[in-house]
Amino acid sequence: MIRLRRRQGEDVNQVARRSVSLFELRTVLSGRTTLILGLAGATGFFIIWELGHYITPEESQRFLPAPQEVLGALITLIVEKDYIADILKSCFRIFASFFAACLIAVPLGIAMGCFMRLRALLNPTISAFRYLPAASFIPLLLVWFGPTDTQKLALLVLGVIFFLVALILDNTKSVQPELIEAALTMGAGRRQVVTEVVVPAVAPAVVDSMRNMIAVGWTYLVIAEIVAASDGIGAVMMRAGRFLKVDIIMAGILTIGFLGVATDLLFRLAARYAFPWNRERGD
Amino acid sequence: MPSDQAPPRTAITASNVTRQYVGGTFTAVDNISLELRENEIVCFIGPSGCGKTTMLRMIAGLEYPSMGDLTIFDKPITGPGPDRGMIFQAYTSFPWLTARKNIEYGMKIMGLSREERSRRSDEFLRLVHLDGFGDSYPASLSGGMKQRVAIARTLAQNPGVLLMDEPFGALDAQVRWEMQEMMIEIIERENTTVVTVTHDIQEAIYLSDRIIFFTRSPGRIKADIPVSFKEGRRIPRKEEMLALPGYVDLERQLFAMMREEIQQK
Repeated sequence: MIRLRRRQGEDVNQVARRSVSLFELRTVLSGRTTLILGLAGATGFFIIWELGHYITPEESQRFLPAPQEVLGALITLIVEKDYIADILKSCFRIFASFFAACLIAVPLGIAMGCFMRLRALLNPTISAFRYLPAASFIPLLLVWFGPTDTQKLALLVLGVIFFLVALILDNTKSVQPELIEAALTMGAGRRQVVTEVVVPAVAPAVVDSMRNMIAVGWTYLVIAEIVAASDGIGAVMMRAGRFLKVDIIMAGILTIGFLGVATDLLFRLAARYAFPWNRERGD
Repeated sequence: MPSDQAPPRTAITASNVTRQYVGGTFTAVDNISLELRENEIVCFIGPSGCGKTTMLRMIAGLEYPSMGDLTIFDKPITGPGPDRGMIFQAYTSFPWLTARKNIEYGMKIMGLSREERSRRSDEFLRLVHLDGFGDSYPASLSGGMKQRVAIARTLAQNPGVLLMDEPFGALDAQVRWEMQEMMIEIIERENTTVVTVTHDIQEAIYLSDRIIFFTRSPGRIKADIPVSFKEGRRIPRKEEMLALPGYVDLERQLFAMMREEIQQK
């Protein structure tokens, strides 16, 4: 609990009521406070990591390098090992596979949300696929495509596409039915209802779902690049593992974390720019 | 409104309309026949679950009778269409369109030219007292204003019949009576035939020329009551109506009927 200074014209009771608790329910935060708290959390993480490094016995310290050592490894990777090319390769795999997955999942999910018969036909099968871990497809994909880029892209597509369909189906189902009925009573045809009402109504929720699923895509990246890969962030980490280069493994983890957060931010900004009318929604 | 010369045309007829759900186990509307005249304002009133909304939705073409026939100006009703504009209780102004684009949407569906749409959207923005808000998105408008956008959008299509399903139910009391007075002004100007569903007795008396009282499920017509004390006038201010002799008697009668329906299980 942090006590606050008395503001002008405020009595002591009001100040007490303003006192800040970490566990205040659903309070409204300013952008600045949110940023400061976020940075504080990240700093705390690095401090704990640093401490962890120093309490580790000397002979094992190389298995838990300090943050600055990992940063050093990262810089060495970039300067000497052409790490940027690996990063770009991984980004390409993520974005290309995600784009392909969306190309199928977005129209399919919206269509299944609109047409009950299509939903009844496809939903049980698609739901079943959601329960199969994407990694279990690796042997199959290797047989089909060999150790190629296609194999990696296919794995990444499989990792997200079924969840994406399910999420977008849900988004579409929750479009307010009165919007559709209002369009019908204005004389809109079926095609118009879908393209001029359902699609714009569901669009912000779809972008939200995409943002959440591309995060899942990043989590599959290492799995895709561990097997039969010579380039990409995952391959670099895998190689480093063989030589017990923990600093490089951790540099890889940090890279993926950073890229993931950046992607998230990109989607948020895109949504804010694309749907200026949607400002009632939080975040 | 009683007309001066020719007798008014029939706008909507229902003959022996029944609507059943769940394989015939639940009857929402039971054998209703009625006739609504052109330029008439009619309210469907009754306790919750009496089938008044189902009846309205069947007139709109959003639901179909299990038995019986519905017509609008002697043509059978087979689905929704712009000849019957509908206002919903939930706000249906499209959040991704500005107020003006919302109002133009219905006209666009009808194939009106860009100039015509722009001219009429100006006119209807003014009619619902939203001039100056044409470029606002619904998210920045109050509930009452959102509802006015929906009303303007519907009226701009010039529907023969305006259907309203508890149109002011989500609004607070003050906004509600402002909206009721605005509706009277608009209906008088546009000469529209109106069917409103409400469970607000005062609203029913204020808006209607005629009140159709539904029994609790299965929905049948309990009474068809002309609001005769208003002598066919559309009264611009609510307090003027409250001062008229006959108002209290009708209100008391409707309350008594409502209690009758609620109490019998």
